Amino acid sequence: MTTAEKKLRIAKEELENIIKICENIEKRGLNPFTVNVKELLSKLRKTLEETPDLDYYVMDAETVYKIATLVALQHKWLKEKARALFVDAQMIATRLVAMDKKSIVRAFLKAWRPIVSLEHMTPHRLRQGIEHFLGLPPRGGGRTWGWKISQREVELIKGKIAEEEEIAEKLKELREELMKTYEEKGEVDYWEFIKRDRFEESFERAYLLSFLITEGYVDVKRNPLKNEIKLIPRKEKVKREQSVSLVITIGGELGERRR
Amino acid sequence: MSGEDSFSKKLMTAAAMLLFRSHRKPGVKGWELKYRLGKNYMKIIDALNSHLKRLGLEVKTVFEEGEDLDKARFYITLARPLMLSDLVTSGWSIDEVAALAVTLSILVSRGGKAPLKDVLEVLETKFPKWKAEAHLERAIRRGYVEKSEEDVLTLGWRAKVELDQKELLTSMLELQPPEQTKEESEGEE
Repeated sequence: MTTAEKKLRIAKEELENIIKICENIEKRGLNPFTVNVKELLSKLRKTLEETPDLDYYVMDAETVYKIATLVALQHKWLKEKARALFVDAQMIATRLVAMDKKSIVRAFLKAWRPIVSLEHMTPHRLRQGIEHFLGLPPRGGGRTWGWKISQREVELIKGKIAEEEEIAEKLKELREELMKTYEEKGEVDYWEFIKRDRFEESFERAYLLSFLITEGYVDVKRNPLKNEIKLIPRKEKVKREQSVSLVITIGGELGERRR
Repeated sequence: MSGEDSFSKKLMTAAAMLLFRSHRKPGVKGWELKYRLGKNYMKIIDALNSHLKRLGLEVKTVFEEGEDLDKARFYITLARPLMLSDLVTSGWSIDEVAALAVTLSILVSRGGKAPLKDVLEVLETKFPKWKAEAHLERAIRRGYVEKSEEDVLTLGWRAKVELDQKELLTSMLELQPPEQTKEESEGEE
C-alpha cells in the first residue's frame, strides 16, 4: 500500500467515525453540544484539501450533511431546554432518587390530568365482529362442529348406512335359514351350519351368526365331551341374564376346530 | 324541532362522542365533530366545556398538524389535579404512578428522549428490577411512553395530552426533603 493510499484510508476512517458519532447522538437522544462542530468542520476542510479523491468527496458530503443534522438537533435541544426551564436533567434525576414514592406521586399529580373515556360496544364494532366470524376458515382436519357438513362426510355417512342395511338383510336371511333347518332337523350343528364351499363364505356366516347369538335370537348348547356345538333358534328375542363368552377359532381349514 | 332542542341534542351527541371511545385511542378528531355537529362545532364544544367544568372535567384540544382545528384531536380530561386518595379509587397503585412519574420526569427533563438503560437505572433505586420493567412496560402499553428499536424511550401520545410538562418539572424541583414531606403527610392523614 502506497503512502497516498494509506492516507486516504485513514481519512475515510475518520469520516466514518464522525458520521457514527452524529448518528449515535441523533438515535440515542444524547446532548448534541458534546460535539465541537466548529472543530469538526475545520478538520474536514483541511483533510479535503489534502485528499483529492472522488470517493472521499462523496463521503465528505455525507459527513457535512450529518453535521448539519447535528446543528439542527442543537437548535431543537435548546428549544426543548428553554421549554423545560433550562432544568438540568441530572438535578431532576438526583431529586427523584432522593425522594420517597409518595412525594414523587404528589408532585406528579399536580401536572397530570388523565383522559376521561369509557369503552362501549358500537353497532359498527358488532358488524365487524360478525363479518370476522363469518369469514373464518374451517378448522384444520375438517369441521367437527357447526351446521355445515362437508361432501366427504356425506359420502362416508351414505356408505355406512348402506353397509348397515346390507348386514341387517344378511342377518335376517341367516336367521330364517337357521329357523327352517331347525324346524326340519331339530338342533343344528354349528359347524355344519356355517360350512360352505369357500372359506370366506363360511367365515362370513360364522361372523353374522355371532351377532344373532349375542342379540339373543339363537341359543348355543355346547357338549364338551362330544366336542359338539348345537344351535337353537328363537322366534322371539331372549334377554340374556348372564352373558358368557365362547371363543371359536376358525383355521385355514374349516375342519380344524379348536376352542 | 326548535333551535334550542337541536342545540341540546348536538350537545348530547358531542358529549357521547368525546366520552365514549369509538377508536383504538380515545379522543375525536375535529373533522369528525364537524361531520356530526356541523361547521359551528366549536360553539357546541365551548358550551359542553362550560357544562363539564362544573363536574371538574374539561375539553382539551391537542393540535397535531399546525393550528388546524379540523386536524386537532379533542379529549375530555380532568380539570383539576387528582388527590393522592383519589388514586386508590381510580384503579392506580401508588407504585405504578410513582414509576410513571419517574419515567416521564426523566424524559421531559431530557427534552422528551432518553435511553431505556438510564430510565431503568433510576427506577431500580425505587423498585426491584422485574417490577421496574413491568411498570415501564405498562406505561408503554398505555401510550405514555414509546420505545424505539434502539432501546430509546420517548414521550408517548398520552403523555403529550395528559401532562403539563412545565408544571411537572416545576413541581419536581419544588419537592421537599423526605423529613418535611413525612410531617406533611402525617398532618394530611
